Amino acid sequence: MDTNGDSAASGKYITLVSRDGWEFVVLREATMISPTIKGMLRGQFAEAKTGRCTFPEISGVILEKVVEYFQFWYKNQDKEDVSDMDIPVELCLELLVAADYFGLDKQY
Amino acid sequence: MSRQNGAGNGIRGPHSALTDFLASHNISANQIRRDAEARRRAAAADGTPDNQTEQQEEEEEEEDDVVVLPRRRGRRVAAVTGEEQRKKENKEIIDKIKAKKSFQKRKRLNDSDDDDDEELLGTLFKQRAAPLPLPGQMENCAACGKRFTVTPYSRNSPDGGLLCTPCGKELAKDAAPAKRKPKRPTTGTGVGRRRQMASAVLDGSYHPGAKSLVTLCIQTLAKNIDLAEDLGGLHPMVVDKIARKLSKHRLVDPRTLNLFLQSTAEEVNIYDGGKLSSDDFIKIFQTVPNLKQLKIRNAVHFKDEVMDYLLTRNIELEDFYLHGANLLSSEHWKKFLRERGKSLKSLRVYWTDKHFGDDVLAELEECCPSLERLKVSHNQAVTGEGVKSIAKVKSLRHVSLELRKSVHPDIFVHLLEKIGHDLRTFSITRVPNADNTILDAAHNHCRSLRKFRITDSEAMTDEGFVRLFTGWLNPGLEFIDLNNCRQIDSAHPRSNPDNVGLCSNGFQAMMAHSRKAKYISVQGCRHITAEAFEKAFSATTVYPEMRKLEISFCEEVNDFIVGSIFRSCAAQLRELVVFGCMKVRDVVVPHGKLLIGVPNALGMVIDGNDD
Repeated sequence: MDTNGDSAASGKYITLVSRDGWEFVVLREATMISPTIKGMLRGQFAEAKTGRCTFPEISGVILEKVVEYFQFWYKNQDKEDVSDMDIPVELCLELLVAADYFGLDKQY
Repeated sequence: MSRQNGAGNGIRGPHSALTDFLASHNISANQIRRDAEARRRAAAADGTPDNQTEQQEEEEEEEDDVVVLPRRRGRRVAAVTGEEQRKKENKEIIDKIKAKKSFQKRKRLNDSDDDDDEELLGTLFKQRAAPLPLPGQMENCAACGKRFTVTPYSRNSPDGGLLCTPCGKELAKDAAPAKRKPKRPTTGTGVGRRRQMASAVLDGSYHPGAKSLVTLCIQTLAKNIDLAEDLGGLHPMVVDKIARKLSKHRLVDPRTLNLFLQSTAEEVNIYDGGKLSSDDFIKIFQTVPNLKQLKIRNAVHFKDEVMDYLLTRNIELEDFYLHGANLLSSEHWKKFLRERGKSLKSLRVYWTDKHFGDDVLAELEECCPSLERLKVSHNQAVTGEGVKSIAKVKSLRHVSLELRKSVHPDIFVHLLEKIGHDLRTFSITRVPNADNTILDAAHNHCRSLRKFRITDSEAMTDEGFVRLFTGWLNPGLEFIDLNNCRQIDSAHPRSNPDNVGLCSNGFQAMMAHSRKAKYISVQGCRHITAEAFEKAFSATTVYPEMRKLEISFCEEVNDFIVGSIFRSCAAQLRELVVFGCMKVRDVVVPHGKLLIGVPNALGMVIDGNDD
């Protein structure tokens, strides 16, 4: 998408791609809560060069929620008394697996 | 009694002679006036009934006869003939209504088009045209037609007019559910949320910013656990978190237990077994054949039959944690240790009254050659004899005892002499008679201690602590808990001539010895002076590993000392607890640190956000 060529390695945005081909353009900083993505974007991996991470195990619906969480976390980073993000019950278990995969179990 | 002139007569001034006379004959001027008014109104109502339907009104308008205009408030309008004038009057009223702010507001709220506009005007016009009677007056009910006295609580009928009490109640019943629903989300926020946050801070689970996604999911899951059928494929750590969350809400029952029993697992943790029966515990051993670590809290129904079943299976537990299993007899404990003690590395038994006693502990030496960790807590059966048996288990590395029966200090000295050299943890809780001999024994024998706890001692002295920590060959401790080691004498609460308990010198010696401590509690050691704190946390001293410090009820602690602590422990400190330190008033708390228990009206906690 808009993470093209030269600026991709250090661009402000990165692209996350789901199993069924949905692409989400997210603030790079917002994804840094996930050690998994942080690791992918470090060093000489293809993801680091292109700024594009593909997740063949994760469906678009779930990835959308995860991306929503990235933004939610980023927006509320240093705020106190943050109200909880809404989790749809039917996505709960799948989202839990995805959250575990992305390493979203600690608070920084 | 004679002056009871009816409702609404709040003013009492001088009375005329006539009023007094009438009152004495139980005749009330007010009553007479009210009745007259009611009569007059009834007569007017016969001419133009108040509760006409719109249709009736229209019909009337079509007749070109004498028409009585709706009355204006407090004034009777004379009957006028002619269409023109009536229309003019109506228009006047409508214009007035339109100009009113409340109308504009309602219009905006309804966001109406022209049709609605007309309708709204119609109702407002009606309301205005037929003024509702004031409280205290009589009126016909709009629904059932009965006559009743209007009160401030009389309800409006949806079609205009007032309702009598029974009809009003009917209406309230219909309207109530619709009203309540939108209100629900607002309850539980505000104060509730603030309280929840304070609770999280005290639990140590508070973090600024958003909760982690895993936590959010687990919360949702716990709320809807009845929908979940299987947690297969989840990481064991996540499953454990779910188990904790469910236990917190007391949701672990025979049905949800199945979610946590994965046949390949080696570890089962049940944080609340209060709702589980013996059969459920047996089911654990049936479904998890490779069980190595078992932890059950509130295991009330962990009875002999469960233990019998466990012994029939080929399960070799390494870590066994049982909490509240009062129905498991000593005989079965001994049987378990004899048959399965060989593999046991850790045994923790909490809250038992008469069944886990000296005779069970006596088995340990023979049966458990690899036992490293032993914790016996809230135990009412074990005496000094049992502690002597523990001293024979050479493999022990961690010993924690909280016994209800008093044990002589000499027995603890004996324990330290025998196995003190390799101990990593030595923890004895609630030992009022523990004295300096124990400290000296620790000084002489312990060489690898990391965790050291002696609480509520009333016999140890400052000198004893100085001797322990000065020149001790044991490397610095990581965890020190000496809470409530202090002098107690209700006759002389202030003086402490013998320096009983942990006082200034002992405290300084301790801090000098354990520079890399992670957790220190000196709660209630109230004879530590301000100078001792200042020296221990001077500008040049640094405690790089300190994470939590408990100095509650150390009376001398003041703002300067708290500030010095934040400076000396800047690297890792997260929590500083200062309940009952009344000299702490106004401290600047660094970013990311918690100061808990400040005695001010702002609340118990200040969460620092200064950089």
